[in-house]
Amino acid sequence: MLIPEILVRAFLKWVVVVTALSLSVALSFHACSTGARRNGYVYYRLTANPTTLDPALIVDVTGGFISAKIFNGLVKMDENLNVAPDIAEKWDISEAGTMYTFRLRKHVYFSNNREVTSHDFKYSFERILTAESRSPNTWVLEKIFGARRFMAGKTKDLAGIETTDRYTLKIRLEKPFSPFLNLLTMTAAYVVPEEEVTKWGDDFSSHPVGTGPFVLKEWKHNNQVVLERNDNYYNGEPRTKGIVYRIIPEDLTAVTEFELGNLDVLTIPAYEYSRYKNSSKWRNLISSMRGLNIYYLGFNCSRPPFNDINFRKAVSYAIDREKILSTFYENRGRLAEGPVPDMLRKWPPPSKQVYDPERAKGIIESHGLKNTVIQFYVTSDQEVVDIAEIIQSYLKKAGLQVRIKQLEWSGYKSAINNGEADMFWISWWADYPDPENFLFPLFHSSNHGAPGNRSRYTNKIVDGLIEAGQTAVDPSARDSYYMAGERIIASESPWVFFWHKTDFTVRQPYVKNYNIYPIYSMDTGLEVSF
Amino acid sequence: MKIFIIRKIVLLLPLLFGITLITFSLTKALPGDPVYSMVGERTNPEIIAKIRKEIGADKGIVRQYIGYVSLLAQGEMGRSYYTQRKVLDDIMIKFPNTLKLALGAMLIAVPFGILLGFLSALKKNSVIDALISSTSIVGLSIPVFWSGLILMFFLSLKARLLPPSGTGGLRYLILPSVTLALPALATLVRVTRVSVLDVIDLPFVKTARAKGIRDIRVRTVHIMKNALIPIVTVIGLDFGSYLSGAVLTETIFGWDGIGRFTMEGILKRDYPVIMGCIIISTLVFVLMNLLVDIIYHFIDPRVRIHGTAR
Repeated sequence: MLIPEILVRAFLKWVVVVTALSLSVALSFHACSTGARRNGYVYYRLTANPTTLDPALIVDVTGGFISAKIFNGLVKMDENLNVAPDIAEKWDISEAGTMYTFRLRKHVYFSNNREVTSHDFKYSFERILTAESRSPNTWVLEKIFGARRFMAGKTKDLAGIETTDRYTLKIRLEKPFSPFLNLLTMTAAYVVPEEEVTKWGDDFSSHPVGTGPFVLKEWKHNNQVVLERNDNYYNGEPRTKGIVYRIIPEDLTAVTEFELGNLDVLTIPAYEYSRYKNSSKWRNLISSMRGLNIYYLGFNCSRPPFNDINFRKAVSYAIDREKILSTFYENRGRLAEGPVPDMLRKWPPPSKQVYDPERAKGIIESHGLKNTVIQFYVTSDQEVVDIAEIIQSYLKKAGLQVRIKQLEWSGYKSAINNGEADMFWISWWADYPDPENFLFPLFHSSNHGAPGNRSRYTNKIVDGLIEAGQTAVDPSARDSYYMAGERIIASESPWVFFWHKTDFTVRQPYVKNYNIYPIYSMDTGLEVSF
Repeated sequence: MKIFIIRKIVLLLPLLFGITLITFSLTKALPGDPVYSMVGERTNPEIIAKIRKEIGADKGIVRQYIGYVSLLAQGEMGRSYYTQRKVLDDIMIKFPNTLKLALGAMLIAVPFGILLGFLSALKKNSVIDALISSTSIVGLSIPVFWSGLILMFFLSLKARLLPPSGTGGLRYLILPSVTLALPALATLVRVTRVSVLDVIDLPFVKTARAKGIRDIRVRTVHIMKNALIPIVTVIGLDFGSYLSGAVLTETIFGWDGIGRFTMEGILKRDYPVIMGCIIISTLVFVLMNLLVDIIYHFIDPRVRIHGTAR
């Protein structure tokens, strides 16, 4: 006898026990289940659990992406990246560019069935600026007259916001600020009902109530977020019953879920791009979106060796960006000619950063910089590490020694914010579609470190041009300031401008009217249908 | 026995205190500032300072630690820096999922591991033994991120039998459980084999046979029971570590357990989450060991649980 009979019996007993236990476990935890597919709902993937759905606190794209379906603001972006009416049906801007008068639509309701009035916007904006909300987004509204005094607790009322009647809201700015309407399209400027915020307190982030086309039905943290159609939405009816965001951290798992039809739309992971592009089944179901972003190699301009313009230029001459873009990056982006994305630049681009390895070597040798050691900080993302190694090999040919230091995101961000790196790889994505968003935070000398200028680039002329652009009321004058600023920046090479990434999604054949947007806040989920 | 259990539980307190102290010091020593991750870009330095003050990061490490311990003493673990949700509430949601996964893995690993290991020992140096031993080495060597993806490829994508990811009932549980069970199963095969071989030639086995006891009874009752001590130890250790979360398995299969929660906390420097998860994991691990100690007593009366061996 190969297996003793008693063992076989014991084993069979175990199988019975296992089955019984498994069934009981399965039934007892049914409430936590991802569950069967909901009919009429469109399924998307999220890579991470949204941290919060409270507009005051949202800083992550995931949270912004979902909140755009739950909330509305005064204004929104249209498909041409222009500011369009949302809850405000029209507005006037005073000649001086400091007074904005918004006329609100009537009969716009929160999902708790209360009508939205101008007082709700005043409350929502003041809430962002109060200390209690702990909002990291105060910068969105701090241009409003009296905002700083209000934030400091010196006044109880935000002087720059006035509600003249139920449907009229007046906002006065400290001084003209040309991107102000753009800022109002951001999550921080969404309207929230005071009674719900008071009712839920800190838990409002998990129980958001807004005016948008969808309402939050269920949020199983780290599992899925379910939105349900809001039948009382003021601006049309969503064509689906709802949206399910499944939280799937692993790319390969998400691809499997998509191919099994458990996801309707998938952002294509980089390493799957070729496969989908060359697949006759999927090729025609791919959508692309020219992103409002910039991927760059930043230099720490505040200390040697990158405080020397010649050294910065030499490094930029030494790297063949076009080759990296076309080969390693499979043309999943457009070559950057400056920090401002091509879609936002209404002026001729600055002169191109060329690949000239001989010139790079010449500068490095003539300045006695051969074998200079560069500390190159990157995140541990595999694609970034690969790019870093390519850059390292180019710079080695130019006579420089690059030491790559990988850190996970939190440590990395602290290190580059604090100026520990000589050189770093990072990207910047638009909060709102305005060139100012790619110039002020990234190059103004008041923003060194965490606010965005991690290159610690300092040029008073550039500061002045950016500030002049921010306050210029005339759009053509504003563009000319920004053009001049961008040219100076490009000529001083605080970065090597790599590319503006294009994102690709693939959808199931039965998904209709699917659009991909350059900014999360533009996707309200209204159009997509089956 | 009661004294032993009470003593073990009392000893938990200094252990937990030590764990909180070490974990707290280590997390604070890590590079990275949670506030930078919390605020996103473009935040005013004043706001950063304000948030730092609110989460107590502006205080000295000793005061921060005392604050945390006093919070624990009130039965609280604080709120996540990011989600503002109570850490204990989240752990209470995720721990049953982790328990379910660990249980699933052990229910697969234990019977198959012991059965195959026993068989391997009984058929020592045979083809079966060679086959089982070499397969178990393969099982030990394959990392879970590979076996998980392979199982997903065949059973989900190709055969369409099971969902590739999600948290839920039995259908969702099978793939991650099998993935997690494979290395434990392989370990159990090897440990069982060695343990059985250790006792198979001992005098009490010969005595049993000389007494005319049936061979099957000798093998199962006399040999197996005496070989169980190391096997139970391995089961206890594995089960304890699975209850602390299986980061890779939970990530691959999108399983909402403690492991993924801990990992996310670590990556974001969400200190209340890290601390909460580690304290709970320690507690579970120690209690598992206590349970193993108690089981020893029943398996082998020579092991006196109040300390001395006879």
